[in-house]
Amino acid sequence: MQKIPLLLAEPDMVLARDIFRYDNANGPPICGRGVTLTDALIERLTRMEVQTITVEGHPVRMDGDRTEEEILLALDKRFEKVENDPLTNKLKKIYRAHYMKSFGDQGAREAT
Amino acid sequence: MQEKRLEIRNIIMNASSLPTLPGIISKLNALSENDKSSVQEMSRLVSSDQVLSARILKLANSPSYGFYRVSTISNAMILLGVNVVKSLALSSSIFEIMEKNSVGLWEHSLGAGVAANIIARRLKLPECEEISTAALLHDIGKVIIRLNFGDDYRQLLELIEKKEIPMLEAERGLLGTDHTEVGAWLAKGWFLPDKLVEPIACHHNVAAATSQQSKAAVVHFADILVKASGFGFSGDDFVPCIQPVAWEKLGMTETILTEIVEELEDKLVDTKNFSLEMQTANED
Repeated sequence: MQKIPLLLAEPDMVLARDIFRYDNANGPPICGRGVTLTDALIERLTRMEVQTITVEGHPVRMDGDRTEEEILLALDKRFEKVENDPLTNKLKKIYRAHYMKSFGDQGAREAT
Repeated sequence: MQEKRLEIRNIIMNASSLPTLPGIISKLNALSENDKSSVQEMSRLVSSDQVLSARILKLANSPSYGFYRVSTISNAMILLGVNVVKSLALSSSIFEIMEKNSVGLWEHSLGAGVAANIIARRLKLPECEEISTAALLHDIGKVIIRLNFGDDYRQLLELIEKKEIPMLEAERGLLGTDHTEVGAWLAKGWFLPDKLVEPIACHHNVAAATSQQSKAAVVHFADILVKASGFGFSGDDFVPCIQPVAWEKLGMTETILTEIVEELEDKLVDTKNFSLEMQTANED
């Protein structure tokens, strides 16, 4: 899944998470996961001042977006001074899994 | 090298060379030390300076405090506490400089504030707002070094790039002190409480913290998490070691850390938006 600014939302994208009102984050969702976006819906969300939405897959390639390989290489570089530290390595593994999962979602969606 | 350390210390102790602090702050300090003064009195004092109020409210509404909708100073005093508002007032001029000239460090600080807030809430620690504030301020020493010792700062960056060493090591080698000590001098000079001073002073050495070790441990983790995620730029790109004393103090586990990372990565998107909005506002 990918979190994107509403400005970049397009019809046919599928919501991966419920959308809540900005000024009432603990209230009922205004739009549920699984819903397919339409022009009218995007327009309504814009009027409700929704800033970001989370959609299925990785449909938007934003400026500075990197490939999975580039992201994992940069991660290795950031952790290079602490390679042998067991606790810090746990964190690195968590980040690695997080990145792979975020790209894995895309693969899963393309496969279906 | 010892001479350099003393020179930096003297400059910080001599407040006149620091970014100007509004006269309101000393009055606010006096009021907050007096048990008889009320939140209303303090709010009225701060509200009388509109520029300062606007800056405080902007920071109070930043993602570091989990997106409160704070629209008045008295709300901020009640929701975030007098100490937090006081620290935001004190640091607002420094943040202003950071936002304009040092976006990487500003984003690193904001991100650390967000991470600290998530950790503190997930671990159900008391005084979450103070912890977020300490994280927001944790690298304030770097701003002071950059502002007052521009040449040294440039040398630091060169040294980091050439030798591929962390900022902390470069500072100690070149200046005989580091941003944690410098930040602590400043925070003490502002009469900030220990719950803010200790995390600033000890975020790279949690074992040295005495009365506020949990808070120092959270800020230590927050700094590491933001660097691990590659968000912002604090002077170097290297993730510091997680100190076992911090891990134990917070009762950290891999499961909790995974949940924290997931939430942080989610919130950092909003944090980036917030920072971009601030920069656009500055250009207008």
